[in-house]
Amino acid sequence: MTFLHLGVFALAAIGIGRLKVGRELALLAFSVFVLFWLQPAQPFVSLRFWIPFATLAIIALVWALTAPPEARAMKKNWPTALVIFGVILLIDLNQFFRLDAIYMTATPRLWMLALAWLVFFSVGLALWRVRQTSTLAALVALGILFIFIYLKTPALVVKSFIWMDSLRGVAPATRPLFSWLGFSYIAFRLLHTIRDFQARRLPALTLSEYVNYAIFFPAFVAGPIDRAERFVVELRTPVALAEQDWAEAARRFIIGLFKKFVVADSLAVISINTIFVEQVHSPAWLWLFLYLYALRIYFDFSAYSDIAIGLARVMGIRLPENFAAPYFKPNLTQFWNAWHITLTQWFRAYFFNPLTRALRTKQISIPAIIFVTQLGTMMLIGLWHGVALNFLCWGIWHGLGLFVQNRWSEWARTKIQTPLTPRRKLLADALGMFLTFNFVSLGWLFFTLPTPALALNAMSKLFGFN
Amino acid sequence: MTTEEIISTLSKQIAEKILKQPGRAIGAEEPLISSGLIDSFSLMDLALFVEDTFGARIEDTELNANTFDSLTQLASLIQSRRA
Repeated sequence: MTFLHLGVFALAAIGIGRLKVGRELALLAFSVFVLFWLQPAQPFVSLRFWIPFATLAIIALVWALTAPPEARAMKKNWPTALVIFGVILLIDLNQFFRLDAIYMTATPRLWMLALAWLVFFSVGLALWRVRQTSTLAALVALGILFIFIYLKTPALVVKSFIWMDSLRGVAPATRPLFSWLGFSYIAFRLLHTIRDFQARRLPALTLSEYVNYAIFFPAFVAGPIDRAERFVVELRTPVALAEQDWAEAARRFIIGLFKKFVVADSLAVISINTIFVEQVHSPAWLWLFLYLYALRIYFDFSAYSDIAIGLARVMGIRLPENFAAPYFKPNLTQFWNAWHITLTQWFRAYFFNPLTRALRTKQISIPAIIFVTQLGTMMLIGLWHGVALNFLCWGIWHGLGLFVQNRWSEWARTKIQTPLTPRRKLLADALGMFLTFNFVSLGWLFFTLPTPALALNAMSKLFGFN
Repeated sequence: MTTEEIISTLSKQIAEKILKQPGRAIGAEEPLISSGLIDSFSLMDLALFVEDTFGARIEDTELNANTFDSLTQLASLIQSRRA
């Protein structure tokens, strides 16, 4: 996202926030536009149009399979369908408007769009008559997971496009890598609603509420991953904005811009990378570059959350916090309660807790359960960032770290029966913070360097083993 | 069972079984999750204890500081589920 994008977002958020009538549909229209607007260059030009189209089709499909009959009533949803159809049509008409500063002009011909709508409505109509069942929802969830894994595996993406070239009988071309902007977050929102539908916990959402939840423009690229039942309450009844709320929203937005464009982008040039690891031999410099990377990734990532929270607040929606001073936490468990909070909570709710609950009813030792659940959860969180060995190692690093910390805490608690004096508590927390920050920083080597071998090489250099 | 009795039972369970510090007193308003006093594994144990003892189910998606973060909040959740 650029300054221009964010400037337009801010103006749109202020405008939408001030609307007394039609606010939800205006938000929907702008979010649909943003979905198309932000799509990057693709291997085939037309994919820049069809990917956001497919995103909306998938969202509508999941909604149709999970919404109760009262929420699917046509009179409630036809304005939403009309708005989505209208925005897509306007975007497609850019082939005539030729506003190439806003969006590409090589949009699909109108007959292709009409055909796509026809296919979508035929599939939609067929699904409308299908009984909503947990099994069908599970199949759709599997489909979403399949797309997610494909997108997160660069080797698969490259191979699939080479295969497409061979089918067309042309030599493999050098193209931009295929990417589906925001799918990681959208997929996890959809999976959450599917799972809650299966557990009969999902509230009744209209099409407008559901699409707004899935592609809410401040949060669709980089989170936070809100929960549908919480989001929809404030979408329906926006939180009133007092003067101090405006100030707070502006503060979060400006802090986000500063963190991203001043701090994180400056740190990017002096953060640890493959060249530094190969060419720098001084452990002191490498530690410095590593610490700078740790700061950079925090400022970069949390900046997007600040911006999203600030923009949403202007529209009367309070998004959940995603970061809570993670590097000031005295242990790894608390670090993970403060880093990418909404993603961690998602994995806790839909993987860690159900697995722990299931294993606790079996005759398995507690340390074994903790080992399996923590390692499994962290490996999945690692793979969420990309299906690659380095992300898997990063997950294992944290999974093992959490297990060791858990066992240590258990042992220490039985040994220390009286509360620490304030002075000792301060010292213990300071030591814990130092160890946690260094452990997390070392873990970033697996995250940022392309191979685990390079990360291990960097670690040995950091500890003076050249 | 009154709210005070529920808080007392929960406090005893957390001190003895989770923190392994039977002599420790846990304040009714003391943050449990956000402070790191109870980790995610122990949180599930607490949820299972609540189900067995009070017959109130806490869903997997509710085991976080947004749903409850103190004994008072947890006791109130239990009361609402038992009602």
